[in-house]
Amino acid sequence: MTAIETSDLRKEYGDVTALSDLSLSVDDGELFALLGPNGSGKTTTIEILTGQLEPTSGTARVLGHDPVSDPIAVRRAVGILPEREDPPSFLTPREYLRFVADVREVADPDDRIAEWADRFGFAELLDTLSTDLSEGERQRVMLAQAFFHEPDLVFIDEPLVNLDPIMQAEVREHMIDYCERGNTLFLSTHFLEVAEQVCTRVGVVRDGELVATHDPRTLDDGEQLLDYFRREVGRPGGDASTASAEVTAAARAGDRSADVDEAATDGEDT
Amino acid sequence: MSGAGNGRLLRRMLREEWRLHAELFGGRFAAFPVLVTAVAAAGCWLLTLTGTGLEAIAVGLHALVVFFGLQVGTIGLVGRDALRDVLGDVTLLVFSARTLPVTWRRLLATFLVKDLLYYSALFLLPLAVGYAVVAIEAGVPVARVALLWVTTAGAFTLGVGGSLTLAGIGTRSRAALLGIVAVATVAVVATNVDPVSFTPLAVYADPGVDTAIRGFAPAVVLATLGPVLFRPADTAGTRTAPDRYDSLRSLLGGDGVATRSVLEVARSSGSVWKVLFSMGVLFGVTALLVREIGRATPLDPSPGIAFGTLLGLGAFTTYSWVTSFDDASEYLRYPVSMADVFAGKRRAYLLLSLPAGLIYLLGSLYWLPPVEVALGAVVFPPVAVYVFGVTTYVTGLSPNELLFDTPLFAAFSAALAVVALPLVVAALVRSEMPTTATGIALGVAALAALVGVGLARRAGPRWQARTRLQ
Repeated sequence: MTAIETSDLRKEYGDVTALSDLSLSVDDGELFALLGPNGSGKTTTIEILTGQLEPTSGTARVLGHDPVSDPIAVRRAVGILPEREDPPSFLTPREYLRFVADVREVADPDDRIAEWADRFGFAELLDTLSTDLSEGERQRVMLAQAFFHEPDLVFIDEPLVNLDPIMQAEVREHMIDYCERGNTLFLSTHFLEVAEQVCTRVGVVRDGELVATHDPRTLDDGEQLLDYFRREVGRPGGDASTASAEVTAAARAGDRSADVDEAATDGEDT
Repeated sequence: MSGAGNGRLLRRMLREEWRLHAELFGGRFAAFPVLVTAVAAAGCWLLTLTGTGLEAIAVGLHALVVFFGLQVGTIGLVGRDALRDVLGDVTLLVFSARTLPVTWRRLLATFLVKDLLYYSALFLLPLAVGYAVVAIEAGVPVARVALLWVTTAGAFTLGVGGSLTLAGIGTRSRAALLGIVAVATVAVVATNVDPVSFTPLAVYADPGVDTAIRGFAPAVVLATLGPVLFRPADTAGTRTAPDRYDSLRSLLGGDGVATRSVLEVARSSGSVWKVLFSMGVLFGVTALLVREIGRATPLDPSPGIAFGTLLGLGAFTTYSWVTSFDDASEYLRYPVSMADVFAGKRRAYLLLSLPAGLIYLLGSLYWLPPVEVALGAVVFPPVAVYVFGVTTYVTGLSPNELLFDTPLFAAFSAALAVVALPLVVAALVRSEMPTTATGIALGVAALAALVGVGLARRAGPRWQARTRLQ
């Protein structure tokens, strides 16, 4: 089953193209990550797919819903954690999760609150005002709200930001476990090691274009995802078609088992 | 820090304030003083058409400026959390005591001086120029207009210093704050002391060395005491709070947005008392205004209509409180429409603003006839509903962006003036034409409420579409 499908998705702000004809498909159970430099269109993609932003053109389906015509249905079905967002300053985590339960129509949320607070390590902070939590503690609360209603698909912009190493490891394990149960995760991240260690597929975006997708588990011995990433986006002045062509050539030559997106191999601007 | 260092800090804060507004509102913000001049001139001209004298208008300007100063001074109540939520990830010099070798008090004192200079130039001077356009034509000497600028600057200082000092006392002891307010009130009522004689308005009314000392001294003292007494809220350490969500939610009909909004107002600095405080200030300023107009002109204004109108208009501040911690983009992550969000905000707004205003109206039974109080109680809620509708429609969840966003400010001012002007005129002429004026006041208030409900309904789809296109 397909969790996310987009066709020629485009977002323009005046003369600036934030997203250029994105065509992408993510299956159920995938742990997919978008990689790309700052301003490459990762956050815009998530905002369009979750109905927070309207595209200039193109279509999308998320869990069978259209985020353009029925954004509420999409938001009801998915969990969302944007980058750099905190829980409300003057609510405690317990009260904030009660609020989330209200707007997401989750009945009797007390057991769930206790369960998620325990899983993300803030059970002892449930009655502390959020304004007095550390950045990492706030991120844990925000992770909990994204998974709170047990959605089949969660979008996360930078999942590990501000977390200590132990919590980073626990969140990684949680994400893998979540997808192994048939759910889907769509990440946006700068952390290449996250993509390398947990993702089943990564998409590389540059200047609003998806230039390639790849399974990081199929890298050759000694090769790092960073090398692949550099090849796709790291060359100043290079263009998408050149980068894609190189990936295609590499795949054809069989020098590594690159799982290059079919559209990218065809030289399209996806 | 040396005197030169203070000067550098002040210059950098002034530059920061300018850049903040320029960044937020672009080139449009440069037109703000021109708009203030135009609105002031048009307002003065329209009021003179109703028979209101220029001296009475000057009294009103002082009252308006004191109120504005009190609002600006609530920076101490707002704190950095609200600023971060309202302005995004903005760090201001005033909050840099932990990273720079400058004390919090010095930063706040410099911030206060910066505000006085900045707003005196960009707001008070245009106000005086707008007044001058009408006043000089009517034969008022230029020196009087210049004096008006000086005394309104003093009135602004009084307002800013007053609210900062009260907030400063409140951060140390709420009991002391209530005690001081109670003693001051009793002293004014019992001793028959005229509080206006201790304000810059007294200097404008009767220029002289004695009145200048008496009139400006409280402003200077309060502006000095404020930074000394104030303690920043973010030094309190880790705080816990009892779970109030469910009990409050059941009172608010299961509305999560309303529950969250009320909790945020109650838990932030100043708690729900800041709503009562801002309404009280408005009530006091209106009472003085009505009295001064009665003294300075042959008119005998209706306090009931005046209270109902100005408390209703002042409920804007409550909307500002209930949205202080909001970012519209957050709600776009939840399966709720912006219409649902505004419905929740309306519940929170009415729950906080109506009781606060009605308490003062009930208190006015002490010296006003019940008919006047009843008139105020009937006019106030519909005007508050109208203000909610206009504010949500024009500004969405960001009412503070009105400041210095010239087109927004113009649209908002015009919408309020459409309702405020006939109500003010009705208040001014009610003693001459009681039945007609009462009918006009009730009719305008009812119509305003209907328009307000309509605008509030349209605000949801309007802001839903706008936010998703940004």
